[in-house]
Amino acid sequence: MLCTLHQTEPAWSGTFHGSRSVLSASFSRRVEMPSHPLRVAVVCSSNQNRSMEAHNILSKRGFDVRSFGTGSHVKLPGPAPDKPNVYDFKTTYEQMYNDLVRKDKELYTQNGILHMLDRNKRIKSKPERFQNCKDRFDLVVTCEERVYDQVLEDLNSREQETLQPVHVINVDIQDNHEEATLGAFLICELCQCIQHTDDMENEIDELIQEFEEKSNRPFLHTVCFY
Amino acid sequence: MMECSAEEEDTAGVVDMTTSEKVVDLLNQAALISTDEKLTLLKQVQELIINKDPSLLDNFLDEMIAFQTDKSIEVRKCIIGFIEEACKRDNELLIRLIANLNMLLKDESVNVVKKAILTLTQLYKVTLQWLVHSKSVSEMQEACWDLVTQMKGDVLALLDSENDGVRTHAIKFTESLIITLSPRTPDSDVPKRQEGDIRLDKVPRDHSYIRYDVLCEEGKSALEKLLNFMVHPAISSINLTTALGSLATIARQRPMFMSKVVQAYETLHANLPPTLAKSQVSSVRKNLKLHLVAVLKHPCSLEFQGQISTLLLDLGMPQSEINRSTPPVREQRKRTRHEQYTEGKKVKMEPALMEDDEDKEEPMPLAAPKPAVVPVAQSAIDLTAEFLRPLLTSENVANLVLISMVYLPDAMPASFQATYTPVESAGTDAQIKHLARLMATQMTAAGIGPGLEQCKAREDEAIKEEDSVDEHGSKDLLIKRKLPAAMIGQAISVVGGYTEKAPTAGVPATAKRLPEPILPSAQTKMSGASGRKKVFRLSDVVQPLSDGQIEKLSLKAVKRILHSEKAISQSGMSHVRVKLLSRLVTQFHGVMKEDVLEFILEDIRTRSDLAFSLLYQEYNKYLSQLPSGVLESYDHCLYTLLSGLQEKPEQRDGLFTKLVLEAPVITESALEVIRRYCEDESRVYLGMTTLKELIVKRPSRQFQYLHVLLDLSSHEKEKVRTTALAFLKRMYEKDHLRDYVEKFALNYLQLLVHPNPPSLLFGADKDTEVAAPWTEETVRQCLFLYLSLLPLNHRLVHELASVYTEAIADIKRSVLRAIEQPIRGMGMNSPELLLLVENCPKGAETLVTRCLHILTDKVPPSPELVERVRDLYHKRVPDVRFLIPVINGLEKNEVIQALPKLIKLNPIVVKEVFNRLLGTQHSEGSSSVSPLTPGDLLIALHNIDSTKCDMKSIIKATNLCFGERNVYTSEVLAVVMQQLMDHSPLPMLLMRTVIQSLTMYPRLGGFVMNILSRLIVKQVWKYPKVWEGFVKCCQRTKPQSYSVLLQLPPAQLNSVFERCPEMREPLLQHVLSFTPLQQAHIPASIMVVLESQRKLQVKPAEPEVEKQMEPVAAPAAPVFETTSLPAAVLTSEMSETSEQQDTVVPKEEEEPMEQEQVAPETQEEEAHSVSQGESAVRSETPSPQPEPAEEPMEGLQSEPLHPDDQQPEQEPEAEQAAAEAAGDSEDVE
Repeated sequence: MLCTLHQTEPAWSGTFHGSRSVLSASFSRRVEMPSHPLRVAVVCSSNQNRSMEAHNILSKRGFDVRSFGTGSHVKLPGPAPDKPNVYDFKTTYEQMYNDLVRKDKELYTQNGILHMLDRNKRIKSKPERFQNCKDRFDLVVTCEERVYDQVLEDLNSREQETLQPVHVINVDIQDNHEEATLGAFLICELCQCIQHTDDMENEIDELIQEFEEKSNRPFLHTVCFY
Repeated sequence: MMECSAEEEDTAGVVDMTTSEKVVDLLNQAALISTDEKLTLLKQVQELIINKDPSLLDNFLDEMIAFQTDKSIEVRKCIIGFIEEACKRDNELLIRLIANLNMLLKDESVNVVKKAILTLTQLYKVTLQWLVHSKSVSEMQEACWDLVTQMKGDVLALLDSENDGVRTHAIKFTESLIITLSPRTPDSDVPKRQEGDIRLDKVPRDHSYIRYDVLCEEGKSALEKLLNFMVHPAISSINLTTALGSLATIARQRPMFMSKVVQAYETLHANLPPTLAKSQVSSVRKNLKLHLVAVLKHPCSLEFQGQISTLLLDLGMPQSEINRSTPPVREQRKRTRHEQYTEGKKVKMEPALMEDDEDKEEPMPLAAPKPAVVPVAQSAIDLTAEFLRPLLTSENVANLVLISMVYLPDAMPASFQATYTPVESAGTDAQIKHLARLMATQMTAAGIGPGLEQCKAREDEAIKEEDSVDEHGSKDLLIKRKLPAAMIGQAISVVGGYTEKAPTAGVPATAKRLPEPILPSAQTKMSGASGRKKVFRLSDVVQPLSDGQIEKLSLKAVKRILHSEKAISQSGMSHVRVKLLSRLVTQFHGVMKEDVLEFILEDIRTRSDLAFSLLYQEYNKYLSQLPSGVLESYDHCLYTLLSGLQEKPEQRDGLFTKLVLEAPVITESALEVIRRYCEDESRVYLGMTTLKELIVKRPSRQFQYLHVLLDLSSHEKEKVRTTALAFLKRMYEKDHLRDYVEKFALNYLQLLVHPNPPSLLFGADKDTEVAAPWTEETVRQCLFLYLSLLPLNHRLVHELASVYTEAIADIKRSVLRAIEQPIRGMGMNSPELLLLVENCPKGAETLVTRCLHILTDKVPPSPELVERVRDLYHKRVPDVRFLIPVINGLEKNEVIQALPKLIKLNPIVVKEVFNRLLGTQHSEGSSSVSPLTPGDLLIALHNIDSTKCDMKSIIKATNLCFGERNVYTSEVLAVVMQQLMDHSPLPMLLMRTVIQSLTMYPRLGGFVMNILSRLIVKQVWKYPKVWEGFVKCCQRTKPQSYSVLLQLPPAQLNSVFERCPEMREPLLQHVLSFTPLQQAHIPASIMVVLESQRKLQVKPAEPEVEKQMEPVAAPAAPVFETTSLPAAVLTSEMSETSEQQDTVVPKEEEEPMEQEQVAPETQEEEAHSVSQGESAVRSETPSPQPEPAEEPMEGLQSEPLHPDDQQPEQEPEAEQAAAEAAGDSEDVE
């Protein structure tokens, strides 16, 4: 995920697309925990920036949340666009942090990677791959279409058992810190709204439409079954 | 899942308790505490009694289940989970728990219901398996299965639930059901976890309770339900996604259904629900892609690879990726396998059926496997696509595009926006094929196209083959039929893009799917439990009305509608009323219709829309009854309306015309009304205009209409007739009508050859066939049309000629009178007329002559005409009368040659000839230049050889000349006399002319004296006649002529005195009055004659003169004798006229000619000729400046006394020409 940062350099200083009113509206909403807590998964490519930002916020708001990546490896920006730092999913955030400090502390401090890893390791020890997780969720939020596709592919390739539905929603978030923060708030608001519904399945469609309109970005949405 | 967590519960307080005690404790706690903790406790109990010590399960079952009424949703869900686990653990518990599940399935909370559905999905399989494996099936088991089956139906009905999530769960249930209720095949994908699951092929065909075939049908019907569900136009995005996934699962696990699945995908792809938002469309497409790839990866996708990869390409997947997902080609057994599946089942079904005959709950279908179901739908699209493909030419496609532009929605639908990709391979074969397939999908979905029809036909056959229609069979048929119907709504709304609501009027069964899920169990009731409720039947609660009552009521109803005109028009719904009335009235006969018609006619102007509506409705009815339908009712309606209009006073709104022109068919009786309308003088023009429109705009029966118009062309009312003729002339100019009109005209013309007028001419009603004679009227009737066509088509003139020759005299006369206008209209340059003159058929001479006269009446003849006439005269019919009309076109010598014959003709004719020659005829300034000057003519008359013509005629002719005082002025006459003097011998009539001239112009006296003198030189006395005239002249010009007389030789002078002794004395006195000198110039011999006693001298001279005269004027001699008696003249004149009349009849050779001259009324002519005779007499008597001396001359003039051979010949001509001639001559005098 962050490996794309260099390719889309201007995005780092990218403008804020998120609607302030949406965000402020979301904060004013009182969060009530329903009888059945929503089990949420937030998924991005490397389980570093976007998913972790959302994970951070959602868990602070009391959601039963987990985060994942769908890539085959974890990739972090390197000294050059064609030289990313690649780790496998077994590597802990701590190990990555140390590795990068060793490699070029100044660079990775400057581009915020170290800061990010530092945050991540305080949330959980290491990135998780979505495909390897057999736990069940009510809602999976992805941060980019490619990730959404991979999640769908994975969920559909699993054998059906209980036929319990899981809703998958994609919210496109550019892979930079600012967007990740904005995206995380958006996801959070979405989750709160969903949590708040009396009958999630019956209302989610409409809710997403509403959000699309408010946030001015398209959400992909589908349902899969365990 | 949830139950896993229960293991941790090792509460400290229950360490030394038995499991049973622990459970009791937990349950007691659970009854009192809050929900969250209750859940934990219950899960612990579940764990304990199911997993740890299942023997306790039965003991605590009731206590556990008691929680199913807990207020908390989560607790109730938890109980459902418990039921599932318990039943899985011990199948026997199904008997006790399934009803509870059924209750929970109807829980008020959707989340409970959803959970119950999930559980039923599992328990259905468990139950089935349990029953299948039971050695013998107990009654309890049967009841359990029945309930499960009922619940299954209930859940299927939840596809119509109003809750999205419930529907989603129902879909998943359906998916599982379909897989369970269909056999696994070697091609099936089998998820490891479900390897041991029950499915159809595990169900023994000879099971004592479960029926293989029923299950099989249920499975198929579930699939149909699912497919139907998917094409609902308002399906939610999530439901659609779910269904797509389910279908993919079904296709992979049950490849026998793959074709249906692929087809459903195709249909969906082409018809994404219009209700989807843009992002939803993307999501659905993404899903579709995903599932398509999943299906594609299945080895059985081989035969659908084309369709699938086309779809994938459309969805934006690169070909390379598609190829990667395509499985390697394998040997293809799938198709045959399916066949075996259905076939095999059918064959084995029969025995099983026999065994369970007594079972009425679920009567067995005869397997009726409908092998067509899967391939049919498939091939319907295929067939239509094949049919379409060659039709997709560039032009057709362009037209389709243009046409569909009209139907495009205002805003681009999201589904379109998302799916649109530019067509890259436009025009290639592959793309055309794809397009054809897309269209075929749409068409099949809409229920049209050749493919569908063929399939339907096949299906119908298949249905017929079923011997018994049982409940299941009919249920399936119902569903099958519903499919296309449901798709219609869907296809239309999607293609249209803007239709908010599916037009589901015709498909009530599917209409209630998503929007209003009433009676969730309605559908299953329909199939399984009919007759349980008492059906309301109208017939049970109402009494039939008597016929009379019905009629009365309906009549009143119609009347009310009829008379509510004003009220309804105020509400703006008049059109509905009109429609209603016309429909009603058309359906019921009798009084009602009369009433309505009468009502309309009361004020037809404002009620015309009702009139038209009624008329069309009648016609519709007729059409709908074809071919046996009769127009009677329609005819009556049209006739009544038209008659009503016709009988009404004048209207200017043209309603009559409108009605006629807009009536779908004009019946005979309607045509009769139109005819009557045309016969009305005040409306003739409007009527015929209408008729004309009919002829022009209704080509199929135009001749029928034309005939009416033709009939009217001989109508007795002139206005009708002339209008009809005017219209017919226009018709005649149209090529396709020309022949008909012409034939009609000629047929009528041809009637003239009959000796008596055919009854046809008197109209059908007058039965006057009894040899009525031709009258002017009847003859004209036959001619009207013909004559008005003649100027348009000159060729027709020959027809007239041939009829003319055959016709009787009366008719000929009438014809001659009638042709003036048309012939004049043709003009003398008409080649056809010239041809007629040239050919002049035998018997048609009078006709030709008449034509010539008409033509030259006002204008001089053209050289061509003259040439034709000359030819005719010289070569064929040497009748001089032909020449008259063209006389001014002839050469001078020709005229002179013809003159003797001409002047022998009837005086009236002669008069006409002279008029032509002298240019005194043509009123409008005679442009014609006569070949003869007046002088020439008079001289020519004098020079006529007396052997060729009798003197009498010549005298008459010269008299005619003198009659023209304007032409024959003194100068002209002087020249004539001068020239005549030079002729030798002297013309016999010279002196007569001289005297006449002198009488007319006394001032010519001097000139005459000169003439006389010169005559003396010419020894005038040698011509006895002239000499006689000379003497007479001298006598008249008395004192003046003395000097002339004195110039005579003595013998001649003596002769003069012998004739006129009274001259002697005055002359002598004259001489004596001379001066002596003058007297000296008088020869002595003269003096002797003057003075001598005349008696002596005269005697010898007299006989001499007499003798001289005798031979020359022999024929004239008797004239002198009789002329002195005016009375005699008079009487002879009278006798002449009377004789004329007598001779008319006997003169046979001349008859034609005579008729030709005859113009209008015979009787009048006769009167004329009489008066003419009288006037002639009168004019003759006074004209010779009454001097007794002149009488002899007068005698010369008024020759007629002898009605010799010539006289009667001329006399008939007097008939007509006399009229004009007489007028002219009188004018002159």
